[in-house]
Amino acid sequence: MSTQVHAALDEGTVREISESLGEPEWLLETRLEALDALDDLAMPSVIRTPGREWTNLHDLDFEGFVDPLNAAENKDQVGPDEAEVLPFAEAVDEHEELLKEHFGSVVDPQDNYLTALSTALFSTGTVVYVPEGVDAEDVKIRTEMNSQSLFNYTLVVTEKSASVTILERQSTGEDVDGERYYSGIVEVAAGENSNVQYGSLQNVDEETYNYTLKRGHADTYATIDWIEGNIGSRLTKSSVETYLKGDSSESQIVGAFFGHGDQHFDVNARVWHEAEHTTADLVTRGALDDEARSVYEGVQDVGSDAWDTNSYQRENTLMLSDESEADASPKLIINNHDTEASHSATVGQVSDEDLFYMETRGTDPESAENMLVEGFFVPVLEEVAVDELRDDLTDLVAARLRE
Amino acid sequence: MATLELNNLHAEVAEEGVDEQILDGVDLEVKSGEIHALMGPNGSGKSTTAKVIAGHPAYEVTEGEVLLHLEDGDFGGAFEIPEDKRTWDLLDLEPNERAALGVFLGFQYPAEIEGVTMTNFLRTALNAKLEEREELFEDEDEHEEEEEEAGYDTSPMEGPADEGEVGVAEFQQILSEKMEQLDMDEKFAQRYLNAGFSGGEKKQNEVLQAAILEPEVAVLDEIDSGLDIDRLQDVSKGINALRDEQGTGILQITHYQRILDYVEPDHVHVMLDGKVAKSGGAELAEKLEDNGYDWVREEFYETA
Amino acid sequence: MSSEQDHLKETDTEKRFEFKKEESAAVTSGKGLTEEVVRMISDDKDEPEWMLERRLRSLKQYHEMPLPTDWPGQPDLTELDIEEIVPYIRPDVDKRSGADDWDDLPEDIQDTFEQLGIPEAERKALSGVGAQYESEVVYQNMQEQWEEKGVVFCNMDEAVREHPELVKEYFMTKCVPPSDNKFAALHGAVWSGGSFVYVPEDVTVEMPVQAYFRMNSEGMGQFEHTLIIAEEGSEVHYIEGCSAPKYGSHNLHSGGVEVFVGEDAHVQYSTVQNWSKNTYNLNTKRAICEKGGTMEWVSGSMGSKATMLYPSTILKGRGATDNHITIAFAGEGQDIDTGAKVYHNAPNTKSTIESKSIAKDGGRTNYRGLVHIADGAEGSSTSVECDALMFDNESTSDTMPYMEIQESKVDVAHEATVGKIGDEDVFYLQSRGLDDDDAKQMIVAGFIEPITEELPIEYAVELNRLIELEMEGSLG
Repeated sequence: MSTQVHAALDEGTVREISESLGEPEWLLETRLEALDALDDLAMPSVIRTPGREWTNLHDLDFEGFVDPLNAAENKDQVGPDEAEVLPFAEAVDEHEELLKEHFGSVVDPQDNYLTALSTALFSTGTVVYVPEGVDAEDVKIRTEMNSQSLFNYTLVVTEKSASVTILERQSTGEDVDGERYYSGIVEVAAGENSNVQYGSLQNVDEETYNYTLKRGHADTYATIDWIEGNIGSRLTKSSVETYLKGDSSESQIVGAFFGHGDQHFDVNARVWHEAEHTTADLVTRGALDDEARSVYEGVQDVGSDAWDTNSYQRENTLMLSDESEADASPKLIINNHDTEASHSATVGQVSDEDLFYMETRGTDPESAENMLVEGFFVPVLEEVAVDELRDDLTDLVAARLRE
Repeated sequence: MATLELNNLHAEVAEEGVDEQILDGVDLEVKSGEIHALMGPNGSGKSTTAKVIAGHPAYEVTEGEVLLHLEDGDFGGAFEIPEDKRTWDLLDLEPNERAALGVFLGFQYPAEIEGVTMTNFLRTALNAKLEEREELFEDEDEHEEEEEEAGYDTSPMEGPADEGEVGVAEFQQILSEKMEQLDMDEKFAQRYLNAGFSGGEKKQNEVLQAAILEPEVAVLDEIDSGLDIDRLQDVSKGINALRDEQGTGILQITHYQRILDYVEPDHVHVMLDGKVAKSGGAELAEKLEDNGYDWVREEFYETA
Repeated sequence: MSSEQDHLKETDTEKRFEFKKEESAAVTSGKGLTEEVVRMISDDKDEPEWMLERRLRSLKQYHEMPLPTDWPGQPDLTELDIEEIVPYIRPDVDKRSGADDWDDLPEDIQDTFEQLGIPEAERKALSGVGAQYESEVVYQNMQEQWEEKGVVFCNMDEAVREHPELVKEYFMTKCVPPSDNKFAALHGAVWSGGSFVYVPEDVTVEMPVQAYFRMNSEGMGQFEHTLIIAEEGSEVHYIEGCSAPKYGSHNLHSGGVEVFVGEDAHVQYSTVQNWSKNTYNLNTKRAICEKGGTMEWVSGSMGSKATMLYPSTILKGRGATDNHITIAFAGEGQDIDTGAKVYHNAPNTKSTIESKSIAKDGGRTNYRGLVHIADGAEGSSTSVECDALMFDNESTSDTMPYMEIQESKVDVAHEATVGKIGDEDVFYLQSRGLDDDDAKQMIVAGFIEPITEELPIEYAVELNRLIELEMEGSLG
């Protein structure tokens, strides 16, 4: 790892953060091990083709923007009474056993350099615990970053037949000089026959580099549905992943992004079918304006024990400007023949025919194009079951079109 | 004269963990030249009976037998059927071996197979039947020698000349005759097997296949469902021709009396709960049409 | 397709490919890859100094470059030891650079090509034939009418001597430089044999020309180079076939193909690859297509232990077109990693890629493809369709497309499906009298039919037969 890290990134810093959250020894150890491992870990994988690297993470200047001891945020963590929605320090206090069981069990802290960095340095987080049979609507986690860097951690655990809908938002508040870094790790452990809907809407300012890894394990008959909206940031590297570990488990990953300026989105949707009768549906749509770039990697990995698998993937990118660029790689890795799998991807622009048609009906070109772009997002928005998130995304798309 | 005989046939779904008895002791006998109608409410086991006769892997036979009795001359005068090979237990045989012996299943939902033309498929099937028949009736000892003769002396860019017993030209002839009989458009011959066919076209195609393969016994599973009246008449004509011209025995599974107006059955059977509950002549079908199945059920369970 | 598929029923045995002749070489380089070996090859060919220099430069690059190891899911090359490969074997024939009469060849070589059916095919359906045995072309002939029109179809060694200006300009310079990848560099150092095709302006070569490559010796490497130059408005179809008997140790095939498609020219390049299952097949094939030109790649990959092959086309001129048709069949112990690369570097360029793959008995297929649309290539379109069929749970089928789109006024579509052979379909065919194998084979033939129907009939027949052999599991 050639990247130089901030001077404050040492054992002392990690101990200080851990202590301020009142963490037990085992958690501190996990953090220190992650810190130790940094030198040996690689950046998250990025697609390379002859002569090109689709996203360049090596130039990220940690020296410049990692400032873990001065983290500042505005946070809301609310939920219905039946479920527990706890700030991390409280969870450490009240649910140490739960944490011990699940922390790092879904996302290995040493998965890559950035997860290790996040594990060592996270100073804020949320633990959502939904007991057996409880149906918890409307869990909301809002994070407004007010410092140069922020490392956030989220754990969601649902017991048998529980159900939860979580809506997470990230944004930036006060302006800070220079570049910023937001890192979020989300672990979801969905118990038997439970149902997790996890919506995320990222709209940080365009000086912020954003790294997020969201990963869930779905037990028997469990469902994990992700919604991943990316609007803000200068560069986003985001991966949303489900391991279908239990028979008859399901997952849907719905993604939407809209880039403008010189934004760069590297969004990944990945699913591993590891049990029988599992189903996955990956749907992503994005629009690119100005010089924005997108990278999409989708992976449907069907293991040899995954009999009777259904797996689908669709990705569509709309280019609104001649300067934009779109890279896409939807992959199928199939090791069990009892599989029905497909993927499709398209890249294109707003159809001249459609524009012309609308203009002949009296619509001015700009409104016509706006309508068509909004229409382009509809199939994805329709998949968003959380009304509030759908409305917000719709508004953000509309706002960006009319900037 | 061939006879298909079902004795005390019991079958269940073969899938592990599913423990559902579908056939619960079916007895039935269909002889060459006879037309039988098999009727009964949904779920009574009619389609399963058909599939088990043909050897569908989804069902496991737990008890009973399916026998085919042949007589010398059934496969034409030149084909000698030795005495010890006149009765076959179909349950021991693969689906294609059953087909070679002259058992035909007309599917309720024929498979659609892209990329394989009707002509190619039917000619392959016809030749496969003839070849398999030779093998089934061959003395075991003679069998070994013939196999290993193929050589490499032909060009890789040119196919070998041998086309099977029925050559392309001869087959085209057979096909167009049968298609004309059934009033089918010739273009079907060049289309992919059932792909994009309408429901009616598929059913017509099933009868066409039976006509070409000349079975001893044809089991037709709801061949009449979804046909308009014109096509119903064409299909019926085809079925009657099978019986009249080739002496095929027909076991026709149907929900409706309608087709029986065109294909008059010699025998009508009613299935209930996986058994044949009542058998009779053509008049039984009319009675069912008028009165439904409840009276059969009452009668059957009273006596039982 | 009906009449072609009829041939499916009748099979040749694997003997057609699986026969070995005693190794009788005039000259062999011995194992390994050293400067001496490279000098010895060049010397044995009596090459001009400039070609030796190119070889030595390639050798240096070869040693400097790493083996590709970091591609996701790439075939395992760890068992391939290039130092154990014999790169050069000159068969013992009287006439260097190819006899023009089959009868002039030594009996065992003549017999080899007879068994493969090449002379017969030449008589019936080809404009010209080249046949390579080990490292050298032993037979080369073309119908006179094409010679008269200025068409050149000779072996590559002869082209170095007879057409030095063209070879100097086009040989591993602007299309596949040795620096492209490690195996291209290897190829540049030890290449031997192959075809040179030159088609003058506005000449249409009506029947295909064919080259057949046969490796007979255990542990050898074959490195033939094919250079096709099709001038403005010309048209040619080049077919290559290849095979080898199976040995316990590894063989290596690392060919190099360079195609220059002139303005409005049309080149079709068809390959039926049937290397034995101890052969590593690591090729570099590339075409550069000028304004209005059309390049078509048709590849059937049936043989080899591992194949890494991604024929690529650079659409350099406005309105140029590329079509790729790829069929891969991986049986036991095979890893067929193949696909396509297309660079749209000019406006209004078009590409279509159709890929069908079949994995059986633990084999692995992968479609790996790249479509790059450069900024400024407006009005371009590409469509990629990949379908895979799996026979069993031991097999693997991957699909890894990469799309790089730097231009907005484009139309890009990619679709892929993976499925198994349906039990209901098999039963339906069985109930009509086909046995299990024939039923599956018919479904496979149907699966690839949309592709085979676009192929020349001889090619489709050959392909179907190879698939049949694969399905019987009897081949090599």
